[in-house]
Amino acid sequence: MTDITKEAMMPSRSFLSQDAIQVFYRLLAALLICAVLAVLSDSFLSLGNILNVLRQASLTFFIASGLTLVVLTAGLDLSVGANVALSACIAGTVIHKTGSPALGILTGLACGGIVGLLNGIMVTALRIPSFIATYGMLWVLNGLTYWYMAGETLHGFPAGFRQIGSGYLFGLPIPVYLLLVFLGIGTLFAQRTIWGQEIYAIGANPVAARLSGIPVARRLLLVYAVSGTMAGLASIIFLSRLNSAEADIGESLTLPAIAAVLIGGTSLFGGVGTVFGTFIGALILTLVLNGMNLLSVSANWQPLVTGIIVILAVWLDMKTRPRAQ
Amino acid sequence: MREAAVVAQPNPLQRIPGVAIVLVLLIVLFSAIAPGFLSVANLSNVLVQSTILTMLALPMTLIIMTEGLDLSMGAVLTLTSLCVAIVSLATHSMLLGLGAGLLVGAAFGVANGWLVAILGIPPFVATLGTLGMAQGLSLIVSDGQSVVGIPHSVRDIYSSTLLGIPVPIVMALVTYAAFHGLLYHTRFGTYIFALGGNREALRYAGLSPNKLLIAVYAIGGAMAGIAGLLMTARMNSGHPTAGLGLEFDAIAAVAVGGTSFERGNGWLLGTLLGVIAVGVLRNGLNLISMPSSVQVASVGVLVIVALFLDGLRSRA
Amino acid sequence: MKQKLTYLALPLLMAAAFTTQARADGETIAVFTKNQTNPFFQTVRVGADNMAKTLNAKTLQYIPTKPDSIPEQLSQIEDVVVKKPSAIVFTPVDYKAMVPGVEKINEAKIPVVNITDRSAGGKFLSFVGADDYSLGLETARFLLKTLGGNGNIVIIEGVKGSLTNVDRVRGFNDALKETPGAKLLASQPGNYQRLQALQVMENLMQSNPQIDGVLAANDAMAVGAIEALDGANRKAQVIGINGTKEAIDAIKSGKLLASGDYNGFAQGCLGTMMAIRSLRNQPVIAEIVLKPTVITKDNYQPFDVPLEQRTCPTFEDAGKLGAK
Repeated sequence: MTDITKEAMMPSRSFLSQDAIQVFYRLLAALLICAVLAVLSDSFLSLGNILNVLRQASLTFFIASGLTLVVLTAGLDLSVGANVALSACIAGTVIHKTGSPALGILTGLACGGIVGLLNGIMVTALRIPSFIATYGMLWVLNGLTYWYMAGETLHGFPAGFRQIGSGYLFGLPIPVYLLLVFLGIGTLFAQRTIWGQEIYAIGANPVAARLSGIPVARRLLLVYAVSGTMAGLASIIFLSRLNSAEADIGESLTLPAIAAVLIGGTSLFGGVGTVFGTFIGALILTLVLNGMNLLSVSANWQPLVTGIIVILAVWLDMKTRPRAQ
Repeated sequence: MREAAVVAQPNPLQRIPGVAIVLVLLIVLFSAIAPGFLSVANLSNVLVQSTILTMLALPMTLIIMTEGLDLSMGAVLTLTSLCVAIVSLATHSMLLGLGAGLLVGAAFGVANGWLVAILGIPPFVATLGTLGMAQGLSLIVSDGQSVVGIPHSVRDIYSSTLLGIPVPIVMALVTYAAFHGLLYHTRFGTYIFALGGNREALRYAGLSPNKLLIAVYAIGGAMAGIAGLLMTARMNSGHPTAGLGLEFDAIAAVAVGGTSFERGNGWLLGTLLGVIAVGVLRNGLNLISMPSSVQVASVGVLVIVALFLDGLRSRA
Repeated sequence: MKQKLTYLALPLLMAAAFTTQARADGETIAVFTKNQTNPFFQTVRVGADNMAKTLNAKTLQYIPTKPDSIPEQLSQIEDVVVKKPSAIVFTPVDYKAMVPGVEKINEAKIPVVNITDRSAGGKFLSFVGADDYSLGLETARFLLKTLGGNGNIVIIEGVKGSLTNVDRVRGFNDALKETPGAKLLASQPGNYQRLQALQVMENLMQSNPQIDGVLAANDAMAVGAIEALDGANRKAQVIGINGTKEAIDAIKSGKLLASGDYNGFAQGCLGTMMAIRSLRNQPVIAEIVLKPTVITKDNYQPFDVPLEQRTCPTFEDAGKLGAK
């Protein structure tokens, strides 16, 4: 295996700017939605609302950003929502028992990461397809969380800790800062590091990637572990924003995260997509829900609208991307 | 990787699919520790409870064989079940209700097929979108309320027997036979294998893979319609959220049954065994009064173990 | 002294043995609840277990693995009918869709008590529940009175189609109708989930600069709304329903105005009590609709007892608790 071969396997510069074009189109779409909402509702463009939207989007984004890496390798992680729930419940318990938010945060991240690692082991060592492995994990996590919580609710956390989810710094909600930080880290990691390049390569052509010397199994373990850790991070944000944790908080988190990844332009076949795109995807989803609340649209319509948007987004993607396949 | 397995030495483990081992183990276990498990009444229950999932898992096998996925099945099932309820309530006719369910189901199936084949949208995404649409329509059409007061003829479908065998089981057996015949004894069946493994061959033969793909998804939608009738019959009502999430169970049953996501090899019997395995697990755990949290976790363990055994098998 | 006690003890023991022989003990009561995740149902289950232990019976808990799953509860009923427990205490996952399940139980001639959500059909030997409509009405009235009969109100609804939601929201709306000074700004669903309620509340605060009162159909959503208000540094009176521990803590700290007491513990106790009594041929109360109680800062003390330390009401109490 020579460096030349490795180079040949990496997505070339021009391919990356293809991703940039896709992100650009999505940004336009998001701005279009903003424009429509601004016209339809006077309260949309207020600073308070924009900040709310950003903060609401951040929760979905944290989960979806880790998920993006998994999907880039042509995998899937269906267990993220349940992971958030379990991690939140365990982290919450640690904070209650020890009084230390720092310990709680570490526990939440560790719990999420361990779950992610287990997913990765099932996919790499046990050779179980990621769809099934993470689906099985989802049930196991739910069972654990139900048993552990026994129908109780954890609530009442220290004020300092709660600042993470609900506090402001220089007028911006703290989760938004975290969002920008992870957006930056995620993008840099995916586009500018060797590991990131290798992840794209694995998704684009797993056989070639392996032949060119990329340690596929280790990279896969990495992406699942990252996905799990980000779920752990999301659990901390959840805990600190809602000041409570229950067994079922993860139910409604998985599908929006997956939708955000897909709307953002990441392909399920792997090798194509960006973390920034996922951010736009999360933003678009949140904007739509925000709009429906502001305009008092009946909740009956929400799944319908979300479904249409997912299809539109992917269709537009295919139309505007040159047929490489 | 699969190619390598074909050339390898035959391994006795290879001949016994993971799901069969799991199913046998479960039956042996529960016969020993669960009182009443082996009774006719109980086993009949397990089979009847598995029929709706079977109706979804069989066409799902075909769809997965074409390297596709249908995430909308649960939501479409919910919608068709509502249609059956609403139409049979309005017309007092079970058959018209069934017809409505079939139409709506098939329409969604065709829509899925069109999105996947003609527009080229990845099946996961396309059916995720139609899932939202079907779910939304269910809520809108029912305004979130159950639909009750439907004629007894609908409800009787679930509870009556034909020659001593419960009607749902008869329906499931007929469906299985039909799918088996379709897949293994018709040309259409060979086309389905080709759709998964070798789409080029179809084009060379002058056939349209697109039309075939649409047909496969349409079959899935139509089956969701029939399952909708069963579901409404079982609840004696239509409910806007009753069937949501069943597609994941169906996909898991297919995967547990040995059909792979990557290549076009499908095993209908495996799917059936997969459905029954999950049903036996739930039933057995209920009978020994296992806490619900353990039941939840064990479904996950079942799925993982079955796939793990399969992984061993194909690597050996 | 010791010897005399022993002489006394023997006949006493025999008498005790006799009286316990007279009752058919060790009955199995199958208890059906909607899900594993809502703390309310945990209180129901604890109440049922508590009462069964007191009366020398045992309970079997049946909970769907997928929360609120209609097909699963139907399957569990079919499984239970094979097992033939002595009696069943039943909360339908959906009050209309579960009717065929109840009819199956009736056909199997297993006595069954309906608790929490009143089933739309089937035969029960007793119903024990709270009146969601009155709870909604009274709790909303309390909030409106606190506001002096004036103010901008938003309603955060629960799950559409759920019986508790339909009745509670109806109660809210009727309370609003009888208070001309109160203006309803919006009524949006939070699906009984706290995250959703928080986001809905955040969005509502954007389009409505002045909100004085929030009527939330359950405590989880009420707490979510409070977090949203805190985050935006706004104040409003908020009420919830269910009377969970979290709500009581919030009432103690002044964040939550009040919560309607949806006493799951009592429902579990009394439902199980009626089931066991009917098996032992003792008189049963056919209908217990718990009187609506609004828990506020002034009266929360008796509700602030941890679940493990609560005791079930007695039969005499049961007669007084019900409105009928």
